[in-house]
Amino acid sequence: MPPSIHPVDLVTALRHKHLTPAIVFLTSRRACDEAMDAFDHADLVLPPVRQEAIATALERVIAQYPSIAEHPLIPIVQRIGVAAHHAGHLPSWKIAIEELMRQGHLDAVFATTTLAAGVDFPARTVVITQSSIRKSRDFTDLTIGEVQQIAGRAGRRGKDHVGFAVITPSPYIDLSVLTKGLTGQPEAIDSQFTISYPMVLNLLKAHPHEHIQGILAKSFAQFQLNQRAELLERKLDLLHAQLEPFGPRVCTDWITQWQSFDHVRRHRPARHQTHRSESPEIAARLPFLTPGRVVGLHKGHGIVLRQYRSKGQKNSMLTMLRPGGAVTECPVTSVREVYDRTYDCTEIATYPWCAADTFDRLSEQLEELPLRLPILPILASPSAEILPDAIVQSLDDFPCPTCSSRSACQKDFPTASRLRQEQHRHTKSIQALRTSLWHRFQERVDVLQTFGYLTSTAQLTADGDWARLIRIDHSLLITELIRAEAFTGADPSLLTGIMASLAHDDDRPGAFPRISAGLSSLLRQVRKLAESLTPHDDPPLLRADVAALAERWVAEPTLTWIGLCRLTTMAEGDIYRLLARTIEFLSQLQTLKATHPYLADSAAEALTLIRRGVLEELP
Amino acid sequence: MTTDELEQLLAQQPVALLHRLARGRVHRQFRAGKRRLIELLLQHSSHNRAGLEFDLQALLEERQSQSESGGRRSQHPPPITRKKTTPQAPVSALPEPAISLTGWLEGIGVPEPQPFVPDPWQTEALSALSETDVVISVPTGSGKTYVAIEAARRAMEDNRTVIYTSPLKALSNTKYTEFSRLFGPDKVGILTGDRQEHGQAPLLIMTTEILRNLLYDAASGEIDIRLDTLGLVILDESQYIADHERGVVWEETIIFCPSQAKLLLLSASIGNPQDIADWLTSIRPTACRLVRHSKRTVPLRAGYLHPNGKLTPLFRTLGIPYGHPSQLHPEAKRLFLEYEEQTLPSGRSRR
Repeated sequence: MPPSIHPVDLVTALRHKHLTPAIVFLTSRRACDEAMDAFDHADLVLPPVRQEAIATALERVIAQYPSIAEHPLIPIVQRIGVAAHHAGHLPSWKIAIEELMRQGHLDAVFATTTLAAGVDFPARTVVITQSSIRKSRDFTDLTIGEVQQIAGRAGRRGKDHVGFAVITPSPYIDLSVLTKGLTGQPEAIDSQFTISYPMVLNLLKAHPHEHIQGILAKSFAQFQLNQRAELLERKLDLLHAQLEPFGPRVCTDWITQWQSFDHVRRHRPARHQTHRSESPEIAARLPFLTPGRVVGLHKGHGIVLRQYRSKGQKNSMLTMLRPGGAVTECPVTSVREVYDRTYDCTEIATYPWCAADTFDRLSEQLEELPLRLPILPILASPSAEILPDAIVQSLDDFPCPTCSSRSACQKDFPTASRLRQEQHRHTKSIQALRTSLWHRFQERVDVLQTFGYLTSTAQLTADGDWARLIRIDHSLLITELIRAEAFTGADPSLLTGIMASLAHDDDRPGAFPRISAGLSSLLRQVRKLAESLTPHDDPPLLRADVAALAERWVAEPTLTWIGLCRLTTMAEGDIYRLLARTIEFLSQLQTLKATHPYLADSAAEALTLIRRGVLEELP
Repeated sequence: MTTDELEQLLAQQPVALLHRLARGRVHRQFRAGKRRLIELLLQHSSHNRAGLEFDLQALLEERQSQSESGGRRSQHPPPITRKKTTPQAPVSALPEPAISLTGWLEGIGVPEPQPFVPDPWQTEALSALSETDVVISVPTGSGKTYVAIEAARRAMEDNRTVIYTSPLKALSNTKYTEFSRLFGPDKVGILTGDRQEHGQAPLLIMTTEILRNLLYDAASGEIDIRLDTLGLVILDESQYIADHERGVVWEETIIFCPSQAKLLLLSASIGNPQDIADWLTSIRPTACRLVRHSKRTVPLRAGYLHPNGKLTPLFRTLGIPYGHPSQLHPEAKRLFLEYEEQTLPSGRSRR
């Protein structure tokens, strides 16, 4: 089975059920054109009476717009009563099709969904073939509003009892998007307020700086921001009420107090490290308690045989040889005196920790020791004193541990703190909502001041006074170009080329082999300037091919429309739109007559040259 | 219908009707009292008010036709025998058989030419316009243009200037041709980026950008004398205010529109026309009137055409079941599932 219904079958089915005239919305221009090709050899021909009616109606339109007399689709329109209608066609062709449709001569029009808003003709039936449309390069699902806009074309008032919206699937269609779209409530719309440079200049021309905030406050954007702010304020009130029971306690701001207390408590090490810390006096002795050293104990004295650490003991341990040949263990803390006398001692790794002969000798020497021995002076350095943990100390600064409301604070803190955080967040967002437009305006003002369109007191400079008349996209780039005198000496065709590249914002590929040297060097200059302005304004595409196309149209008055179309792969409708947009841009330059007479004259000349052929015949 | 109106209307209905309305909307609706039921209904339908209104209307009509056929008897509570039958004929009726193709196709044709009678909303909009600004939000093809034409005619009879703006040059041109035919070519002028004709005519058609520029020039002292006589500004397709690139132009135009001129905003169905009206009320000297309705002049039916040429209704019901996107016709459902199975790469499922 084919992935979607064949156009010929579609029209046959619609005719069979009396569902014509119909508008068939397809994904792309190409799909529309391919549908037309499919009718080339179809035998769906209309009865001669209707063919003639179409022919006469077409003749009438062609008399008005001769440019469509040679249109390749005319035979199909006449023979079968179907047509394509999309942005790739000339406006005159679209007008002709709309006129035929209004008079009821056609059975089906194949159109693109992108154009649904611009299609101003109804039919009995609309055929929907997809659930998404191409929006700046990727496909997005149709919104409910868009589905209803499309379906709204069905059913002509006074000509139909009922209208029909027929869905026919194509690959990747999502039926639920369409059923939701047909049965749902359209989405709410949101303001898309942006602050552009000409807007700033025009506002400041007419109103003093201090009034602007009031004017911005009148925008739908601010209205909607206020709505959101009010919603937040209501939430804030609710939070206030919820925070009521958590009012002042022993300390006024107990939440903050508890929070820092809690923080400190949490960041204190969970338990003291169990490192064996000896007091400084003991620590200072340790290096001297080596095997062979004579030390004084509670009762009598002994000779150190070894020093060791034991798992169960906090302090280092000593193994001592006591008088009478006894070997005992004792902690270093039980050492009373360290005497200034040592004996040689040969250590071994097992009991009794010294060689047998050493043991015997030491036992003898121990017996022979005098009662008084000189004491070794050991200095404990004060720096070795252990500093108490800083955090532990600050924990003592808090009254909390002993406070009477401690348990209440501990219990309420999580709730209260969450509420208060929310409160802070809402307060901040409300403030942002109330002032964001004004901040955006100020940012623009700052940029215009650095470029010298505004004085430091936000008054228009001489440059600002004319720059405000350029009220189109990329106005900053255009005014900067004028100030950089990029257009000085530029002839009308060059000017047209540059304006066309500025005006064209479509990246559909086109092709044009040649570009004049003057235009290419000027375009390079424009690109450089556009790049330097990127922090302040999005750069235009600045396509060289469309610039060259517009330049040729102005530079060669003998060039025909057909000839122009042959120079590029762009669709007729796109070329027309390009030139129409260029005309708009040039008309803006024309308004600078008072300050830039040469430029305005050049633009006026370009305008007269550009308006010929198809561009003249059309409204 | 605003929320308050709807709430009042619901409160006037008997509980039995509310229960029927709540079926499928509110869980365990029979447990709730009337107040609570209304609350739950409104809460549930906050995303789909139209569906609720539609069903309510259908129920009311049904009840009315019953009371007409049943005579006075229906004033009394229905007899017990009826009580058992009522729940079996619910509103948006699942047990009700799906519509057949022939039934769906019935009624195609051209209506008898009838003398044009303006719809109530059109008259309402026109009479409101004599005092205040008006926002109209109605479905495509309901006759917004009639209001525009009539309003323009009245303003011109008062010797006021009228400005009509549209977002697209092509639409401006179409309207220019149409209005010239209606009012006479000397009465209508057009100003677009690349075309200027009859600039002194009392009815001026322009793109919204041009009007914005005119208003800026007037504000900065280069006064266009004609702004003083400006009586009416019509902004067609004003849902463009949400256009990503150009929406700001509509806002600027409305902010700087002279206060003595009335504003008429024509828009397709949008979700929040009340917001637009409230906004206008907050910045314009008089309170703005909102005229909206969601009923189409020519009723719409939806169908499904399978690639093999088989046509079936898309929904179970004849019309569009507003608020019930899942009430698909079983045949359409079957065919579409078949289609999905065939077109999707094997082993992959959409859901």
